[in-house]
Amino acid sequence: MLSNKRLAPALALVAAGALTMGLAACSSDAEAPGGGDELVTVGFVAVGPEGAWREANEANVQDTFTEEAGYELKYAPAANLDQKSQIDAFTAFVDEGVDVILLSATEGSGWEDSLARAQEAEIPVVLVDRGIEPDDSSLYVSRIAPDNVVVAASIAEWANAEWPEGANYVTLEGPAGVGVVNERNRGFDEAINDNFTKLEAQTANWSADEAKGVFETMLKSYDNDIQFVFAQNDEMGLGAALAVEEAGLTLGEDVKIATIDGTRGAIEALADGRLSFVAEYNPLFGETLVDVVEAALAGDTVESYIIVPSLTFDSPEAAAEALPDRQF
Amino acid sequence: MNESKSNLERVRAIIRSQYFWGIVAIFLLLLINLIKDPSYLNLSYNPTTGAFVGNIIDILRAAAPILMIAVGVCLVIATGGIDLSVGSVMVVSGAVTMEFLSAANQPDSIGAAALAILLALLLSTVLGLVNGVLVAFVGLQPFITTLVMMLAGRGIAKVITEGQNTSATNEPVRWIANGYAFGLPVVFLIAVAVIVVVSIVVRKSALGLMIEAIGIDPKASRLAGLNRRGLLLTVYAISGLLAGIAGIFATASVMTVDVSRTGYQLELDAILAVVIGGTSLAGGKFSIGGAVIGALLIATLDKTVLFLGVPSSATPAFKAIVIIALCLLSSERVRSLFRQRRLTTPLTPKETVPS
Amino acid sequence: MSEPLPIVEMESISISFPGVKALDKVDFRLFPGEVHTLMGENGAGKSTLIKALTGVYKIDSGDIVIAGQSRRLTGTADAQAAGIATVYQEVNLCANLSIGENVMLGHEVRGPLGINWSATHRAAQAALDGMGLGHLDPRQPLATLSLAVQQLVAISRAMVTKTKVLILDEPTSSLDAHEVAGLFTVIRRLRDQGVAILFVSHFLDQVYAISDRLTVLRNGQYVGEYSTRELDRSMLISKMIGKDVETLRGIGSERRANHRSPGDEPLLRAEKIGRKGSIEPTDVTLHRGEILGFAGLLGSGRTELARLLCGADRPDTGRVWMRGKRTEVSNPKAGLDNRIAFSSENRRDEGIIRDLTVRENLVLAVQAKRGWARPIPRREQDALVSKYITALNVRPADPERPIKNLSGGNQQKVLLGRWLATQPDLLILDEPTRGIDVGAKAEIQLTVAQLADDGVSVVFISSELEEVVRLSDRILVLKDHRRIAELENGPGVNADTIVDIIASEVQEEVGA
Repeated sequence: MLSNKRLAPALALVAAGALTMGLAACSSDAEAPGGGDELVTVGFVAVGPEGAWREANEANVQDTFTEEAGYELKYAPAANLDQKSQIDAFTAFVDEGVDVILLSATEGSGWEDSLARAQEAEIPVVLVDRGIEPDDSSLYVSRIAPDNVVVAASIAEWANAEWPEGANYVTLEGPAGVGVVNERNRGFDEAINDNFTKLEAQTANWSADEAKGVFETMLKSYDNDIQFVFAQNDEMGLGAALAVEEAGLTLGEDVKIATIDGTRGAIEALADGRLSFVAEYNPLFGETLVDVVEAALAGDTVESYIIVPSLTFDSPEAAAEALPDRQF
Repeated sequence: MNESKSNLERVRAIIRSQYFWGIVAIFLLLLINLIKDPSYLNLSYNPTTGAFVGNIIDILRAAAPILMIAVGVCLVIATGGIDLSVGSVMVVSGAVTMEFLSAANQPDSIGAAALAILLALLLSTVLGLVNGVLVAFVGLQPFITTLVMMLAGRGIAKVITEGQNTSATNEPVRWIANGYAFGLPVVFLIAVAVIVVVSIVVRKSALGLMIEAIGIDPKASRLAGLNRRGLLLTVYAISGLLAGIAGIFATASVMTVDVSRTGYQLELDAILAVVIGGTSLAGGKFSIGGAVIGALLIATLDKTVLFLGVPSSATPAFKAIVIIALCLLSSERVRSLFRQRRLTTPLTPKETVPS
Repeated sequence: MSEPLPIVEMESISISFPGVKALDKVDFRLFPGEVHTLMGENGAGKSTLIKALTGVYKIDSGDIVIAGQSRRLTGTADAQAAGIATVYQEVNLCANLSIGENVMLGHEVRGPLGINWSATHRAAQAALDGMGLGHLDPRQPLATLSLAVQQLVAISRAMVTKTKVLILDEPTSSLDAHEVAGLFTVIRRLRDQGVAILFVSHFLDQVYAISDRLTVLRNGQYVGEYSTRELDRSMLISKMIGKDVETLRGIGSERRANHRSPGDEPLLRAEKIGRKGSIEPTDVTLHRGEILGFAGLLGSGRTELARLLCGADRPDTGRVWMRGKRTEVSNPKAGLDNRIAFSSENRRDEGIIRDLTVRENLVLAVQAKRGWARPIPRREQDALVSKYITALNVRPADPERPIKNLSGGNQQKVLLGRWLATQPDLLILDEPTRGIDVGAKAEIQLTVAQLADDGVSVVFISSELEEVVRLSDRILVLKDHRRIAELENGPGVNADTIVDIIASEVQEEVGA
């Protein structure tokens, strides 16, 4: 009945939420006679253990798609962040004939064939957080994610304000070639002032341990002349903080570290003054996801990119204030 | 005259030893770093922490976990086997440590630290023993056995931490990875101590000879009365134990176990270190000293890549080139090309080209 | 034989390795259509000379002329191009390929679509026919063939490459008499086709059966070239070892003089000891200081029986008493603990530990008895090693040399030392003299006789019946996995006696 109608733009999230709510009501009405306790099977091709952010995000998805809400969620985390294992899981879901597939791709490229197969099988795919490259939105229903570009840009804007005269900085990236890394780099690079000097960018594979080792060497390599670290996730930022402390430098004075994600550990570190800026990358969008899944099952057109709003924390005080309510 | 001759021979023996080129490569890498920054090798003393500070110190600290697993894998390789599970045993050990400490929640308790470490090492040794039983008694191939353990180990770690990356606070454990004693990193000192103990046990007892014997010729060794099964069990258990120590080193430095990254693919570094050290993958004669050189080289290489600022995407290629060059230099065949001399030792049948 | 031009002429060849002059101005000639045997003790320089001819070693000085052309061989490929092919002791084929693929490897017949397999197999069949191996199907996997036939396949392979000189290095060492006869048929056929054959063997009988001419080397030096007909065996041996053969002859008479009839309690008594598929239940009794010979053909069960006695294999029937006490010898370690030492016939795979030094090889069994936690102090090791190096006359007398660099005979002496160092009461020697030179052979036989005089019991197994008869007090004859006779040695017993016993048991004819 709503099939011809386009959904409101995603920025009007509340409106979208209301609409899809109604939709959900409709569809459950429609399904009720056929077999009300039929669960909708949802295959979740997930990333698995990567860090606190992912933990919060995937737990949130699992908590939202419950049996009480009418779903059977099949959770398939990648083996050691390996794309191959994700593709295998994805194919298995298609063969099995699940109703919907949620996909958080560890790597952006190489998904065309799998997505085309899902399309052939008429299984809608919703991208959770991670996008694909090249971004062909005809292959999936929608991508729901906080905007990496916007989040990374917010860090650059903070840095621009913090060092009006410019500064030397380094970037600690995730694994080279991963979509999210490219997006965060793009957002940051576009927004950072020209008077900043990017000394180096190195991967630390999202890991605190590696980031510590990497940044320890960077400090020696540049004679401690690094004012600012852009860490693309919290773990790497916290690892870098350990390296700064070990080098006998003062966090927040000699070196300031900004991170993306906003997990509890990072907010705590910000409250303690060990980090200087944390841009949240909001993982809690299970509700929105449910709405989109419902719409997709009903055959409605959904906005191809739905941005989840995120916060930023720029002071210990703001962090301390946010801590009690922090869910991840 | 006699003495000078023996000195000369000693120098020759070093040059001929397999790991000579490993030492050369370490010095070359340090030299490259020195060219980039003349103060690269400088050490300063930080009176507040009581520690020396410098790139060399960083290398020693980074080398510690690789040293542990390289020595363990070296012994396993000497028996003609291979241990692919060391990286996964590391993450299990780290997971046990962090999970225990996180549950104990006693940030300053040495007792909790000791218990956590004991538990982690115990489980690591058990995993090594499982490898050993499968290889020695069930008769599975070491490659398959430890490959399975490599996959299973990471799974076990995920079960222990319920799939998450667990962090904990405990000062004594943190000190192990980050603290200093006599101005040097504690991890490195522990690593050296462990290596010295292992070397003494292996070389001062008959264990080393027996390991080599079963590695070269299991049938002949059995007829000579050697207990092959017992030796294999011992060696895999030692490898597990050493990997457990490495796992504590790796996780204690940031007090977080990262179930998908801790120890990830480090078994390859370990095998590489052993090979650079001149121990043949076919088993037999082994050199713990060589494995140590190999591990130090890998740590130096990792740090050099960072220090030179080689872009992330080019890092694997850079490392590969250095290692291939090294393997070429230490290969008997290539070396004999450089030496403009006839082969001085008869080729063994293995080395001759099939006609 | 009117002398045509030699196909190979090596003149004044010298090769040195550090500290050793492996070849010192050696001459060697090989004519088309002859079988020429290279004779000498191990270490005399035979292998080095062959490796010089096959391009493995570069020569320091001298000349190699092949088919009238002076050559500087730079590698095996170079030698092959010159028409020289080698078939080694260990067959150098790919067990997982078919017979035909092995024969034609590198010379497959090519068609427009790559390799034409049916044509290749036809060519292989032709090559096999030419060797009298027409009954083989080239499409069968090589692994289905016995070692002996594999060797013939290796020779066929060599002939595919238009070989003019065929080198056979110890081709008979693991063949039985029947197989040797088959090999010799092939060799004669090739000789008649004009191929020059360079043959190396330790079996004097075979040398005399097949070769036309001999070249003798000793200590890297050329002794002489002889026509086989003009040189009798004792002269040949004297030329090889540089001393007369009376020592060898002495052993036998001395043993006979010492022959004792035991009445005391046996050291070892085995009752109905056997193992399914390898040896039927057999009784064995052995007294102190007695040498018990096991005689029988390869595969008769002689090795299998020995392996049960020492614990190398576990018997599934029977009981064993050592020194009157019931004993289970379930593994080699238990054997050593019961003072039973076993020297395997397979020196390369079950004897020496290649990469270990002479010292390490020698102390290994003693160390195994002690356990890993109680290492033998270095001084004690050195004393032990120098004792056995001297007693057994191991050359070179360098304990730190890897054992793989020693000649076969000296490796065998080191192994003997390894077992003697465990101070065994029972020493089981399976083919201790196979593939080693005459000098070392005599020394090992002397040692064995001496051991028995000192009260050690010995089980002695050898394919050379003369040797068994010379040494043994009693002889156990085995055939088809069972014991067929046991006889006291004495003046009336000789190799033929045993052959008769084995032959009289024969139903169907076995080739000589």
